Amino acid sequence: MNILVCIKQVPDTESQIKIDSGGKGIQTADIKWVMNPYDEFGVEEALRIKEKTGGKVTVIGVGPQRVVESLRTALAMGADEAIHVDDPAADGGDALATARVLAGSVKDVPFDLIFCGQRAVDDDNAQVGAALSELLQIPLLSVITKVEISDDKAKVKVQRPVEGATWVFEAPLPALITTQKGLNEPRYASLPGIMKAKKKPLSAKKLGDLGLSPDQAGLQGSKLTIKGLTPPPERKAGKIIEGETAQEKGTILVKLLREEAKII
Amino acid sequence: MADFTLDEDQKQIQDMMRKFAEKELRPIARDCDEEDKLPADLLEKVWELGFCPNIIPEKYGGYDMGRSALNAAIMVEELAWGDASLAIGALSPLLMAVPILEFGTEEQKEEWLPKFCGEKFYPATAALMERRITFEPTDLHTTVEMEKEVMVLNGAKCLVPLADQAEQILVYAATAKGAGAAAIEAVIVDRNTPGVTIGEREKNMGFKPLPLFPVTFKDVEVPMTRRLGGNKGIQFMRLLNLSRANLCAMAVGVSRASNEYAIKYAKERFAFGEPIASRQAVAWMLGESAIEVAGMRLMVWRTAWRLDRNEDATRDAGLTKMYCADKTMLITDYGVQVLGGHGYIREHPVELWFRNGRGFDTMEGLAIG
Repeated sequence: MNILVCIKQVPDTESQIKIDSGGKGIQTADIKWVMNPYDEFGVEEALRIKEKTGGKVTVIGVGPQRVVESLRTALAMGADEAIHVDDPAADGGDALATARVLAGSVKDVPFDLIFCGQRAVDDDNAQVGAALSELLQIPLLSVITKVEISDDKAKVKVQRPVEGATWVFEAPLPALITTQKGLNEPRYASLPGIMKAKKKPLSAKKLGDLGLSPDQAGLQGSKLTIKGLTPPPERKAGKIIEGETAQEKGTILVKLLREEAKII
Repeated sequence: MADFTLDEDQKQIQDMMRKFAEKELRPIARDCDEEDKLPADLLEKVWELGFCPNIIPEKYGGYDMGRSALNAAIMVEELAWGDASLAIGALSPLLMAVPILEFGTEEQKEEWLPKFCGEKFYPATAALMERRITFEPTDLHTTVEMEKEVMVLNGAKCLVPLADQAEQILVYAATAKGAGAAAIEAVIVDRNTPGVTIGEREKNMGFKPLPLFPVTFKDVEVPMTRRLGGNKGIQFMRLLNLSRANLCAMAVGVSRASNEYAIKYAKERFAFGEPIASRQAVAWMLGESAIEVAGMRLMVWRTAWRLDRNEDATRDAGLTKMYCADKTMLITDYGVQVLGGHGYIREHPVELWFRNGRGFDTMEGLAIG
């Protein structure tokens, strides 16, 4: 099976996020960039399927040169090839513009299955996978925690957890799956894997190579614009309840919840 | 003339090892310390990272991705930042694999290296240190007599990691007592050979999860084929230097862990209306530690770089060992001090790093890469 995994590079959740002077983006100088954790589930699942059924795993990333690092991480984990759309005109796009770029980059690549993270942990937009499936006219299976390929490799059966239950879906291949936490535990790249990664093919593409014009991608091709970013409000200091005994503290707490917080 | 840019591989190694250390070592470090345990499943997890086959040539079953003391230093700094005891334990097979790669005869490489390329952790270790007043690794009193067909080993070793489960022990012994580094041989000894006695597990101040044992050798007969390097023997100082670079990289990891923790704590802990980090008495300790961590790392990297160029790194490795051992004590002590009374209780990891950090001064030959 040929499996594609779309990868977004995002700031490490440990990085301290500061808004830049323009007020519409973040300061990127001290940011450590990593593969979106949900995309990592996609890479892992693709590798597990490949190990069972054979085939090839190709990873795709859009963005500046630094994105190569995350693509190499996926190659080090075991992916076979990488496509990097390295074109300033493709950067900064909304979900639809980005999906167009991804759709363009797979137009000459055979695939049976595509994985996207259910969302990226930076903008939490959760739409690229859906938009890509629409552009490619293939079934979308979103927020998935289990994937089973049929023996004849023609269908995929998946599970989506919902409040108190699990939905089971089946779709013909090719299809697009967006990954949810719980799907798997991504492997660590092995040392030989890391060393081998640099010998694996990584092709850089421009928008022109994908048959796209600048007004279909990036900022120009976006219907959504960011008007401004504000940091979350600072957390107010908590209140420590003083009292001799637990009972006394409990009484004060109930009183405060009723009279001050007005929630009981 | 000098370049400190990590290449793509090194960056990936650093990132991946940091992640591994954070997710696999840190969460279990405290329990392992309290319970003196080195979990078997952890050994397998680290083994899966492929640190042995990565450096072993293809004809012996490895991937032949090149061996580098610098890459090893980058790797073990991160693992020791996670937990030094667990790192030393999990990487102990290298104690035998690396000397064989360095000095083994073709026959020895063919016989032993494939064992380090299997899917399961292959327990192997080395015995260097002796419990004598100097703890001087070049002045060994364990002796090896070369006879016609066999070698005969006599002496006592201590601090042998995983001696209880290692199938093979690489024993360093001198052809004549006190004859210095030039007279040191390495002998591959099957632990079940008559005359080999593994003593009771040692109880130490730090590195508690790491099973360390005294091992004695009484008239132990070993076939001549197990003399590492055959007639040529080994260059002991090269192995000691490789080990010192590796251990010092671990010391950097432990020091960095303590310094990072102390900085974070000092910024969050308020006293007299401001974070304690803004008090000079505290800030100086944090700053001094950060300077020393950076300095230690530079020394380790230079030693490793020398070793990778096959230069004589004895002086660099010696200086680095002394400096790192010394500064690790200082930095991990400051870590405890910055936390005040909280530093002394086991709720915080600084006391653990302090106990482990103290050990680098004593230890030799416990890691190699």
